Amino acid sequence: MKKILVADDEMAIRLLYSEELKEEGYEVFTAANGREALEIVEKEPLDLVILDIKMPEMDGIEALRQIKERKPDLPVLLSTAYGEYKQDFATWASDDYLVKSSDLDDLKNAVKRYLKD
Amino acid sequence: MGSERLAFLSQMVEVLTSTVSFGERLGNMVHLLARFLKMDQALYFGLDKSQESLNLQISSKGPLPRQLHLEYQSGQGVVGLAAKTGKPQLVYRDQEGVFADNALLEKLQPKFNTLAAFPVADDNFLYGVLLLIDKSLRSFSPMESQAVHLTSLMLAGALRQALVQEEAKKRIAELSVLFEVGKAISATVELDDLLERVVSTTAKVINARGAALQIIDLKTGEPRVSSHYGLVPIAKICPTIPQADIKAGSMTEMAFLQGQTSDSSGKVHYHLAVPLIFKGQLQGTLCVFDKIAAGGEHLPFDPENRQLLFTMAGLIVNALENALTYQQVETLAERNKRMVRNLTTLQEVSQAMLTTVQEERLLDIIIQGLIQPTGLGFDRVLILQVDENSQTIRGRKGAQRPTEAPALPLAEVLFQPLAAEIPVADWQIPISPGLGAMAQAVLRRRPVHQHPSQPRTDTAVPWQKSFDAQEYFVVPLVVKDRATGVIMVDNQSSGRPLEPEPLHALQMMATQAALMLENAHLYSTIEANNRELMLIRERMLESDRLAALSSLASGMAHEIRNPLVSIGGFARRIGKLVEKNSPLRGYVEVIQEEVSRLEKLLREILDFTGENLSYFGDHNLDQLIEDTLLLVLRDLEVSNIKLVKKLEPVPRIHCDDRQIKQVFYNLFQNARQAMQGVGGTLTIHTYPQEREDGIYAAAAISDTGGGIPLDVLHNIFNPFFSTKDHGTGLGLSIAQRIVARHYGHIEVKNELGKGVTFVVTLPIAKYCLVKDAGQGTALASALNAPSGGRR
Repeated sequence: MKKILVADDEMAIRLLYSEELKEEGYEVFTAANGREALEIVEKEPLDLVILDIKMPEMDGIEALRQIKERKPDLPVLLSTAYGEYKQDFATWASDDYLVKSSDLDDLKNAVKRYLKD
Repeated sequence: MGSERLAFLSQMVEVLTSTVSFGERLGNMVHLLARFLKMDQALYFGLDKSQESLNLQISSKGPLPRQLHLEYQSGQGVVGLAAKTGKPQLVYRDQEGVFADNALLEKLQPKFNTLAAFPVADDNFLYGVLLLIDKSLRSFSPMESQAVHLTSLMLAGALRQALVQEEAKKRIAELSVLFEVGKAISATVELDDLLERVVSTTAKVINARGAALQIIDLKTGEPRVSSHYGLVPIAKICPTIPQADIKAGSMTEMAFLQGQTSDSSGKVHYHLAVPLIFKGQLQGTLCVFDKIAAGGEHLPFDPENRQLLFTMAGLIVNALENALTYQQVETLAERNKRMVRNLTTLQEVSQAMLTTVQEERLLDIIIQGLIQPTGLGFDRVLILQVDENSQTIRGRKGAQRPTEAPALPLAEVLFQPLAAEIPVADWQIPISPGLGAMAQAVLRRRPVHQHPSQPRTDTAVPWQKSFDAQEYFVVPLVVKDRATGVIMVDNQSSGRPLEPEPLHALQMMATQAALMLENAHLYSTIEANNRELMLIRERMLESDRLAALSSLASGMAHEIRNPLVSIGGFARRIGKLVEKNSPLRGYVEVIQEEVSRLEKLLREILDFTGENLSYFGDHNLDQLIEDTLLLVLRDLEVSNIKLVKKLEPVPRIHCDDRQIKQVFYNLFQNARQAMQGVGGTLTIHTYPQEREDGIYAAAAISDTGGGIPLDVLHNIFNPFFSTKDHGTGLGLSIAQRIVARHYGHIEVKNELGKGVTFVVTLPIAKYCLVKDAGQGTALASALNAPSGGRR
């Protein structure tokens, strides 16, 4: 079973994403900020990370940088309410940039794309 | 004896008062005296004008033989002795020396013995001598002596009367000549005309065959004939009197030349010349040729003629003086008039220049002032400006003198556009000492006058051939010791020489023109800078406002987006759990749809407020349209819409490509929706467009969707206005905001029943901020340029 980490400071989002992804047959870990996310990345053999950008303690951009530093091959998707960060080169290190939507098909398709094998 | 004497005296009085001619009267008186005294012969010797000699004039025996010429010098013979002493002389043949001294008388009265000579004189003058001759030896009684004395007195009286008469006649003749001349002179003030009249009058009065007036040329010192009348010998027109003779001559005895020559046929010609002396200097000669007698033969000129000629010369000198003074006054008046006109021109040009700070207007005013016939009236005027960067003088503006004098006064003509411009825009003359008058004027900061006689220094100047002038004048425009340009003038087409006065006025005008042009230049620089600053300020205010609005909107949108995602996401989850026929399913779907609608609105609001940062660059409008079309091609196909593209090459535009694509995307979608269900044609036409404030790239997007109903037309750009069931109404509004942010325009051409055309115009790259000069060529160069300059 593929392991996915969802990092978002919004509890409702964490719940929604993990419910949806579990349904798709993934094992889902959650973190409320970048620091927590990094801890899980260290501990667990993850297959994919979904990061929100605006989070307390450590934001998604910094978390993305540190994850890519430690595990360059681990796919990281940015999922955010902000469209404008897409132009920020700091986000370019991510494998995909998704603007949050109540329709999770885009997210699930992207996840599938990275975890197809 | 007493009665004889009385008879003698009464006869004498009768003769004296008779009306016969003067000569006859004298003859009769001498005859009467000889008879009364019973003398063999009585003779009268007249004293000539020189008072030196006495000539036999009358004999008591009637007319003298023509060839007889008997003359005594004063003191010579008994006649000369009587004249010299003024006393009667009585001598006899046998007295010593008498015969020898008076031998000539033998011709008239051989074997004379008694000679009695009596002076004929009055209180003032001696007129001549009366000589009584007799063969016998005789003496004179007192009565006889008294009779001779009385006769002498009567003779003297008659002679004096004759002299007075002659003198009076001469005086009258002279006065009438002077009157004639005076009439001639006062008839005109034109010098040439006057001289002609004087010369012809002189010839006529003297009755000469010809007359000439020769005046010494002030510049060369050579005499030249100013005027002549009648027949004047060509070879030596007028004998020249040496200046030295004039100075040597006294006031009473003026120098003159009189002479005679013979022509080939042997005919004698006479000439008489008198000097024209003005302020002690010989100014010329008045000369007459050949006095014509009644019979047509030539006569020499007599002293009266000479005297008259002197008088005429005096008159001519006076007239010359008057005429010269008049001419000088006229010249001064003319010069004054020209100066007043030049100063008026300067003043009017100066006034006109003060009315504008526009460089082009100033140039027009300056050129009009210089070429107008009512201004300084040059044939051609060119104004060139110094380009300090390239060290060249560049053509700025030029014009020719109009062929017709303007109907308007100069003050108004100055504001008229130039009638006959000379194209000089491509002139570029290096500022190098060897390259002509313009370069010299700039380098020396002094005017340069190229005279026709001077060697040319401009043969290497590139424009020289296209603008050839024998004589021209270049005056530099100097501001603070720096030559900013030149004004060049010539009179090539009319061939008039360049006069000093208008050139002087030009130099004065150039001083002011240089300052005014410099001011205009500074003003336009300041104006351009100001305009740029205004635009920047406007942009900054705009972006500040937008930034404030977008940060507020995006802040809110983000806050809303997270809960929306949760609400929508969980609603979807609930939807999956609810049974298909449960009424809850409908409720959940409502939640889902409303959330979707809110999310779409959110996206558009974020687009509208410029959530995305701007990325400006130079782009090809046609390419942007092609890129955008890719996104809608499928939709168009599905909606059965034909696409027609007319993409002309257009200048590159400075823009955020994503935003401009958004504009066209919205317009294409609008067009597609207008033709939804019925199909139609979408036409896209791009082209360069010149507007008042610069050059634009234009794109016209036309549909055949029937047009926009008039009642909603005014609303189409309002945010949130939509005619569609499923639209936010932000499409056109967003498009308009983006285009406005790019300093462009969106125009609608609505054809009710046919369709709508939206025309988007965007400023081209070079003109994003400031309108540049010379738009005419800018369009072509912008089109040809491989890429627009990035600001």
